[in-house]
Amino acid sequence: MADGAHGEAARWGIEYQQRVGAFFDAEDFAPIRVVHVSTDRETMGDTGVAFIRELVDMAPEQRRPRAFAVADFRGFDEETFKFLLPGRDLAAQSEEAVAALAQLGVSTSHAYVNDHSVTAPAFGEACGYSGTPSVIYMNGLVGARCNFEAGPSSLAAFFTGRVPRYGFHLDDSRRATHAYRLGFNPNNVAEWGAVGAIIGRKLNSYWSVPALEIPDKSAAVLSLNHMALNLASYGSIAMFHVIGVTPEARDWTDAFGGPAPTPEVLTQADVDEFLDSWGGTGEKLDVVALSTPQLTITELVEIAALLDGNRVHSDTALLVYAPREIKAAAERIGVAQQIEAAGGRMVHGHDFFATFAKEIRESHNWDRLMTHSVKVANICAGYGYRPRPASIEQCVKSAIAGKVLP
Amino acid sequence: MTEEKNGLVLRGHVGIGPGVRGVALSAADDFSARYDLDRDRGVVSRPQHKLYGENYIGKILVLNAAKGGVASAWMLRDMVLAGKAPLALLLNNANPVMAQGAAFADLPFIDRFETDITQAIRTGDVVYVDPTNGCVRIEQKV
Repeated sequence: MADGAHGEAARWGIEYQQRVGAFFDAEDFAPIRVVHVSTDRETMGDTGVAFIRELVDMAPEQRRPRAFAVADFRGFDEETFKFLLPGRDLAAQSEEAVAALAQLGVSTSHAYVNDHSVTAPAFGEACGYSGTPSVIYMNGLVGARCNFEAGPSSLAAFFTGRVPRYGFHLDDSRRATHAYRLGFNPNNVAEWGAVGAIIGRKLNSYWSVPALEIPDKSAAVLSLNHMALNLASYGSIAMFHVIGVTPEARDWTDAFGGPAPTPEVLTQADVDEFLDSWGGTGEKLDVVALSTPQLTITELVEIAALLDGNRVHSDTALLVYAPREIKAAAERIGVAQQIEAAGGRMVHGHDFFATFAKEIRESHNWDRLMTHSVKVANICAGYGYRPRPASIEQCVKSAIAGKVLP
Repeated sequence: MTEEKNGLVLRGHVGIGPGVRGVALSAADDFSARYDLDRDRGVVSRPQHKLYGENYIGKILVLNAAKGGVASAWMLRDMVLAGKAPLALLLNNANPVMAQGAAFADLPFIDRFETDITQAIRTGDVVYVDPTNGCVRIEQKV
């Protein structure tokens, strides 16, 4: 492959992967079947799109794929983004990237890759996923094997059909390094996200693997997903175990590959302190962004019920993000219409934080933001917002009141 | 850490990119191109960051750990091509995203030093970054 016999794209890909693999002392490569390409337009930039076009411009025999690749959250909600960013034609910019990826043979979809509607690796299978929430989900909940294979890295894997074998492809790296016990049942996904953020901040290393014991082993996948994506967001963590729940942690000994340390206990007070630390109670509220991960149909039903008989305050924007098919499903049962009749905006396409959120803030002179996603709070703090994470219920009631409610 | 003829040498893991010489911008804080930077202006934009408001363009950026998601892999190259990137990046602990981004951008990058790099190198120090040999030489201390 390195000599170009398998095409120029594979030559580029394997040379690139060898540099990254050498950096992490990988001894060889793991073959893969599926790749997830993260392609939000803001992250890629014009130079990223130009790079993909360079690959497209190669003769087809020079860029033959060697894995199945999917990019989720195709495109933008044109109508909403005309409101959010009137000075930027996001629909056209997004289409450039989508068209170029499609020409390469990357399947672009409107799904959320963690819902498994597009691809699903098997237990123990090596894969090349890009988005951090997807990587930690596949490692921790599915038991597939993956490192963060960010944008260009997943494209390299697409052309070579393999990834460098280091990190979470190796048994030893997957074993737990730190033990925690939840001393309470989180009440909502924001509190689950806070648990992930607290542990992520404590560990702050890609190579740390937390194991967690929870009181209710029937916790929903959505709850664990919120915890996981905040482990990744706040600590760059890519692997975790939940004792008696996730597939490589039948018990503490299984998770650690031997005796486990005494777990550190996390309490409701820890989570309350984390959420309260963002402040803002009683302040004017400019925008509520409910995204990341994009909402499920049951969450949309909850929002519609909270809005029933009420109206979003005229000084506050309520943005409700869902994959296009979920938005359509909500329309079929009248829930989307209820949300929009109450003054909310249903949005499909890329997430709020991934669509030039800094420009959106400047365009609307927004300051205070609420979200049920602790990850959105983390990112948007860097974009000049003053975020406040809270439950969906607290977010929607605050949107109605036009101020941050306790 | 060894004292050599041309300065104090700090050893890390073999890195990525070409050798460069420049002035350090250092803090005991973490790094993500998405979470922490105003990439248009070339300044650290997260109010909580210890380098908040500092211009990093053309500096040897010295920080603790890579954090956050996949965005840095695309963004580092975009910053380099726009002429709005640090000259090099030194971290105590990388994650794959930062290594993938550095390799894509050909941005000099080293991690896993024998000592806490954020304490060993101070803002204003003149350093030579040698990724091929996985070391940094402090040529001039402030």
